[in-house]
Amino acid sequence: MFKNHTNYKYILFVLPALVYVAALSFFPAASVVFLSFKTPKGAYSLGNYYAIESGLLKSTFDTVIVSFGALLIQLFFAILIANILIKSLKGNKLFSTIFIIPYGISTVVSAFIFSLIFSAVGGFANSTLHSLGLLHLFGIASVNWYATQYTSMGIVMFADFWKNTPLIALILLGGLSSIDPAIMEAASVDGAGSFRRFIHIILPNLAPYIAIALLIRGVSEFNIFALPLVLIGYHPSLINTLVYEYFTSISSVDYSYAAATILLLIIVAFAVLVIKLGGASNYEKQ
Amino acid sequence: MKNSNIPSYIIAIILAIIFIYPLYILILIAFEPVSLTFDRLYPYQLPFDFTLANFKASIKDLSLIAPVLRSVVVAFIVAILAIVLSTSAGYGLNKISSKFSNKIIVLMFFANMLPAIVIAIPISVYFIKLGLYDNVFGIALAQELVVLPISTFIMLGGFRALPVDLENQTNIDGANLLSSFRYVIIPLIRVPLIITFLLAWMTSWDEFTYAIIISPLAPTFPVSLYDYVSRGDPFISSSFALLVTIPVIVIVVFLQKYLKGEYLTGGMKA
Repeated sequence: MFKNHTNYKYILFVLPALVYVAALSFFPAASVVFLSFKTPKGAYSLGNYYAIESGLLKSTFDTVIVSFGALLIQLFFAILIANILIKSLKGNKLFSTIFIIPYGISTVVSAFIFSLIFSAVGGFANSTLHSLGLLHLFGIASVNWYATQYTSMGIVMFADFWKNTPLIALILLGGLSSIDPAIMEAASVDGAGSFRRFIHIILPNLAPYIAIALLIRGVSEFNIFALPLVLIGYHPSLINTLVYEYFTSISSVDYSYAAATILLLIIVAFAVLVIKLGGASNYEKQ
Repeated sequence: MKNSNIPSYIIAIILAIIFIYPLYILILIAFEPVSLTFDRLYPYQLPFDFTLANFKASIKDLSLIAPVLRSVVVAFIVAILAIVLSTSAGYGLNKISSKFSNKIIVLMFFANMLPAIVIAIPISVYFIKLGLYDNVFGIALAQELVVLPISTFIMLGGFRALPVDLENQTNIDGANLLSSFRYVIIPLIRVPLIITFLLAWMTSWDEFTYAIIISPLAPTFPVSLYDYVSRGDPFISSSFALLVTIPVIVIVVFLQKYLKGEYLTGGMKA
């Protein structure tokens, strides 16, 4: 009885934050879904969805490719980095400081730098190829990095890998340091080489951390907006840039609600899936 | 044992070069004469010359100073609001049963996963009505959504680390809630407070989606940098970009020892 009484009092401290999240997050999200069915004439129908169907399908597809591609690259290099940083190499402090630098460079600044490195004509990447003599070898003046939509998406993935790998590496480093060194030593004594130690000890122990990293980065990967907007504009449009493209031209504001609803749907599905499979349910059990 | 480290070193050095290269390019174009970088088809990659002319030009261009100041103001509002809301929420969550408080944390992180652009569009409509459109408070209120869950989680962790009887003892000594907070609790949770503040500050500094939709005409620094880049005059902004990036890199290097997996994952334990 007494305990319940105190509980209610302390909820009051949590309320401001909860009300904040509800008012500025759940309510607007719900209103987007509602407004997406309202056509310019004021009637409620699926008109907005039909109007943008083909563009939406294509950018959904492209977004999925970019998201999963970037996730895989990040995961691979993050595992590599975490495995290097866990060793007590000389100069590791310097390495870990260097590896964390991208985390401190804001997304737009890094997109800006990458747009200078990968210019359609010239630029620093071409300059490197030029001084290595590679451009001369193929007889071209410069590589157009935006020649096809897939190379454009590749540039976005690379920039995203650069910016966000440090975060995943830090999470995985936390996982690696939780493995008891004695297990590794025992395996080593038993004759397991470094590859077999990696497959049979490190990977299974790291799996839950990988799941969390995938959840966190996966959700933000579907939301990637500033990077593609600065680097490739609307060629091709990913879902976020598509929503923004519709939103910024007056004639298609209503379409932006429909596209936003689809984005919301994808994110919620992905989040629920990973929460069911991974981290959050474990967190509740704690 | 010595030999087995050589591949690690090689990989580490290659990765280090990849991670440092873009920052190096930013520094290079900031201090090189334009004739050696932007004006050339194949810009030089080595520092052949040194000039402060780019810096002088970018500082003279006052149109970039206003957005940077605005970003600083927004970041401070976001960070202070994060401290207030998350300290209160963390304190309350620590007192209620952990089964319930964990549910609330999960709910907040779920809200955090909703795409910013989906939320920003309807919010911008409300903010026009409320007079918060194109306004630093408007941007700050929206960006607060991004930092609130992680801040609350960090503060909850801070409160959980305190001894349970601490507050009872201050009560016995005659302190009310406010004075026990001021003299006993706050000094003990200052590390999580500092981390919350810096993380919120950095997140706001970097935030783009809410900023561009809620305040396109009075932009923060990332938005105005985007404007410059999309208009195609990058060299004014490049030295400026460096100028505003360095403080954040310093913060990150300082935060490094606190940036453990646990804070970054928002406590979703493996």
